[in-house]
Amino acid sequence: MKDIFYYFERDMLRWVRGRVSVISALVMPAAWLIFVGLALPTTFTENYIDFITPGILVLTMLGASLQGGSLLIFDKILGFLNKFLALPSARESILFGKILFITARGLLQATVILLLALVLGASFLSPWSLVLTYGILALFGVLLSAFSTTVALHLSDHDAYAAFNAMVSMPLFFTSSALMPYAVMPTWLSPLAYWNPVSYAIDAIRALQDGVLAWGRIGALALLAAVVVGISIRQFRQVTL
Amino acid sequence: MCNPYYSFLSHSYVPQDMAVDIKLTGRENVALFAKLYGIPRRDETIERVLGMMDLSDRADDLVRTYSGGMRRRLELAQALVHEPKVLFLDEPTIGLDVAARKKIWEHIRTLKSRGMTIFVTTHYMDEADHSCDRVAILDHGRVVAVDPPARLKGLLGKDLISARVSGDLPGDLPEGIELLGGKENGEAVFSSENASEKVPVLFRMLEEHGAVVHSLSVHEPTLDDVFLALVGTREDVSGFDDHKFRTMLRRR
Repeated sequence: MKDIFYYFERDMLRWVRGRVSVISALVMPAAWLIFVGLALPTTFTENYIDFITPGILVLTMLGASLQGGSLLIFDKILGFLNKFLALPSARESILFGKILFITARGLLQATVILLLALVLGASFLSPWSLVLTYGILALFGVLLSAFSTTVALHLSDHDAYAAFNAMVSMPLFFTSSALMPYAVMPTWLSPLAYWNPVSYAIDAIRALQDGVLAWGRIGALALLAAVVVGISIRQFRQVTL
Repeated sequence: MCNPYYSFLSHSYVPQDMAVDIKLTGRENVALFAKLYGIPRRDETIERVLGMMDLSDRADDLVRTYSGGMRRRLELAQALVHEPKVLFLDEPTIGLDVAARKKIWEHIRTLKSRGMTIFVTTHYMDEADHSCDRVAILDHGRVVAVDPPARLKGLLGKDLISARVSGDLPGDLPEGIELLGGKENGEAVFSSENASEKVPVLFRMLEEHGAVVHSLSVHEPTLDDVFLALVGTREDVSGFDDHKFRTMLRRR
C-alpha cells in the first residue's frame, strides 16, 4: 500500500517542479467555460453557466486523465518502468500510483474551474452535494486514468499515444450530454450520449444540482470503473517489456 | 533461487537506459528506491550509498545538473540500497567519457572487493580485460567462450601482425604465419610466434606476390582480437534498436 504513495509522491514532485504543465492544464477547460459558457446563444435554459459547469468539470477530468496516460509513456520510453517492474513491490502499485496522481491532479484542476464558475455567476450546490460532486469526479477520474494508463502500457511512443488521445477525447466529449440536454439533441445523438460514460458523470452531477441522487448513473460509472481497473490490474501483472 | 521474491531481494539490476528523474534531486532519486525496497533505517542507508558513489556533496542538487557519469553513479547508488549480493549492470559505461568510465570501474572494483558478485555487459573489451575475473564472449546470445581474460588471449597463443596492404594476399604463407579471418578494409591480421622476427619474411613474401605493403605492426593479442577471431568480423545485422540508439544520443 505504501508503495502506491511513493509512486504518487514521485509523480507529484515532478509535476509541481515543471510549472508550465501546471498552468497549461488549466487553460483549456477555463477557455471552454468562458467562451462556450458565456458566448453560446442558448434558448433551453436561463443560466447556461449553471448548465455547462458540470460538463466542463467532467471535461477537465477527461482531459487530465487522458493527458495522464503520457506519464506512463514517458516512464516506459526513458526506462523507469523497466526498473520499477524489476522491484519486489507489487506491479499493480505502479498502476494505482498513476491512478491516484492523475485523479488528484484532475481534482485540483476541477477545483480551479469550479471557483472560476462561481466567479462567472454559477449558483452552485449545497456543501453536501459538493462533496458528492467530488466523489463522482474522482470515480470518473479513476475510470479514465486506469484506461489511459493501460492503453499507454501497450503503445510504443508519444506519437501513438497522442493519436489515441486525439481520437478518443473529443468524440467522447461531443457525444456526451455536456453541451446540451437530451431533449434538444438530434435523435441519432441522444441514445449515443446516454450510453457514453462521460454522460454518466455529467448527468449524476446535474442531478445533484436539483438535489437528486442519480443512483443509476453513479452505479453505472462505479461498475464500469471496477471492470476497467480489474482489467488494468491484470495487464500490469502480465506485462513484459 | 526457487522463490522469485528472495531473488529480488538479493540481486539488483541496472539497465542500460540512464533512467534517473532529472526533476528530482540525487537524494530523492535514491530515496524512492529505498522506500520501494522498504529499507529499514532509510536515511542512514541513503547517506551511505550516496557516499559510496562519491555523490554526497551534490546529493541535494537536481539531477538535471549532473553529468552523465554522475547519473550513472546515481543509478548504481539506487541499485545498492538493499545491499544486494549480486549486481547486474548492462553496459554501465556506454556513452561516457574516458575519465567517467574509469571512475565507474573503480567503483565496480570496490564493490567487488567487498564480496559482491557483479555481472557486467560491455562492448569495451579493454575494460573487461582490466577489471573482470572472467569474461564470456557472446555471439548472437550464445556463449562462445568463457574464461579469465589472460587465458582467452592465450587462445590465440601467438603474437599478432597487423598489415595494411593493397592487392591480393598470397595463397600460401611462410611457415608459422597464419592469416586470421580475411582482409577487411585493406587490413589483414596474421598470427605467429616470435612475430618481430617474422615481419621481414612476411614483408618480402607479400612484396614478391605483388602486394603493396603500407605498414606492418606487431602487438600482443587483445580481447578485441579474441572477439574477432571467435565471433568474426561480420556486422550484427539484426534489427536496429532505435530506442537504444536514442538513449545513446541523449547521453552525449
